[in-house]
Amino acid sequence: MAEINVENLKVVYRGVILALQGVSMRAGAGEAVALLGPNGAGKSTLVRAISGLLPQYDGRVLDGKIAINGQETHHLPALKVTELGVTAILEGRPIFRYLTVIENLRAAGHKLTPQRHKELADEIFTRFPRLYERRFEQGGYLSGGEQQMLLLGMALLTEPKILVVDEPSLGLSPKLTEEVMRVLDELRRDKGLTLVLVEQNARAAFSIVERVYVMEQGRVVFEGTAQEAQADADVMEFYLGGAVAGGFSEAKRYRRRKRWV
Amino acid sequence: MDLALVIQTALNGLANGALYAVIAAGFVLVYRATSVVNFAIAEFMLIGAYLTYTMSLFFPLLLAILLALPLAFIFGVLVERGFVRPLLGRNVVAVIMATIGLAATLDGATLILWGPDQKAMGAADISQLPKEMPNLAFSLGGVFLSSKAVWSLILALPLAILLVLALKYSRYGVLLRAVSESETAALAMGINAPRVVAVAWGISAVMATIGGAFLAGAAGGGGPGHHLILLGLIVFPVAILGGFDSVPGAVVAGLLIGLIEAFSQLYLESLLPGITQAIPFLIVLLVLLFRPYGLFGQHRIERV
Repeated sequence: MAEINVENLKVVYRGVILALQGVSMRAGAGEAVALLGPNGAGKSTLVRAISGLLPQYDGRVLDGKIAINGQETHHLPALKVTELGVTAILEGRPIFRYLTVIENLRAAGHKLTPQRHKELADEIFTRFPRLYERRFEQGGYLSGGEQQMLLLGMALLTEPKILVVDEPSLGLSPKLTEEVMRVLDELRRDKGLTLVLVEQNARAAFSIVERVYVMEQGRVVFEGTAQEAQADADVMEFYLGGAVAGGFSEAKRYRRRKRWV
Repeated sequence: MDLALVIQTALNGLANGALYAVIAAGFVLVYRATSVVNFAIAEFMLIGAYLTYTMSLFFPLLLAILLALPLAFIFGVLVERGFVRPLLGRNVVAVIMATIGLAATLDGATLILWGPDQKAMGAADISQLPKEMPNLAFSLGGVFLSSKAVWSLILALPLAILLVLALKYSRYGVLLRAVSESETAALAMGINAPRVVAVAWGISAVMATIGGAFLAGAAGGGGPGHHLILLGLIVFPVAILGGFDSVPGAVVAGLLIGLIEAFSQLYLESLLPGITQAIPFLIVLLVLLFRPYGLFGQHRIERV
């Protein structure tokens, strides 16, 4: 089990675009937290910062710190961060599209012994029988849901302690979203993972997380338990489309008026 | 038609084609791994040939080639670490200009290190007889095959095929294909992408060294010289015919171009002098016009 602490994190892209403006968040060992927020809130930037992938996007940490089990990681390269047990499933379902399902799993589990790889691959195929049926097909030909399952399987093969998942429900039907969330929850409980879930689909996220952070324009604007978030009128209005009298244009005006920053 | 002559021409064509295949396979490997078109590939051949020459001054030629390979690997890795890595992610034109600059730099470096004169393998000066590989020349049923052709068939061709198989089935091959798709996704899964890419450059330099060492004496004189830079241009038609991003394609295209050159030399050269040198580039024109993805170019997966 591992915990993650982010304190007053400021991230800048290309030296000029301030994407995170002092974000603090925490996920305790074995805990599941959600990062909610609209497009451009800085959720994916936080994922990149946690996983050490900012340099790949021409970004860097300007100030603040990230610590995994007390060890500061915000200046470490991605490979060192993964060695500490952090695996990130980035947005856009980044499987290797030209590799078969088996090859994708082989790439993700390249550090494992053949015996351990086989054990975990068997477990993955048991959890996701559809992947077994399509194991010789290229990843690019899988459906969105299958690709998401493959990514979860690949993440499992890295034997993570902290799993950071960016928008797993993107482009999936409500039924598949529900299925993905169920699997994520199952994996977390079975493996004792710490889960950081980035979502725009708040309702889906609430079903599996204990705590929630809401982000807007590079800042955390709400922090609380999943129950508190669901009881908060603002969160419900913004992310679950609570009733606003006067139709769509009124709702938009209402949103502009109520911006948190 | 003299069947023995046809078979002999085909085998000689395949032998030369194996050398093209091995060089082009390394070139395409680097393109797959980094999306960098290495315009300095001919200089890689040149450096490999000169390394072999230097080793051949002290050791038998076959051993010299084998000893030059690890040096070439280190050279390839150093080029990647020192020169290519800082450029990755930059504008593609900038990278192209940089590799052209690298070619000029390496060209100049070989002039400084080894001088402008052509060398003879294993000989201190060009007037001496070059060292040769153990003689494997044979004649069977009217088919004669030179020792050099036999050596390229038994060394270069298996090496090119081995690379294709390794890329498909080995752990490194899977990792390289993963990195070539997305370095960021690979890093997120804990794949040491920089190392995978550096090894690809090392392998490319090794392949170029094999080709360079064998082709070094192709223009006479029995050793490396700057004529290799012109010979190295053959890599581009081979890679384009093969599909540019396909290592198996490069191997098949190398063999095909070797065969076409050999038969052109036999049947067309007397009618159209110089056609043999021009034919690979004519093929490129036709490929670009009618089959831009080449023989084995990767079909893009588009989900709709």
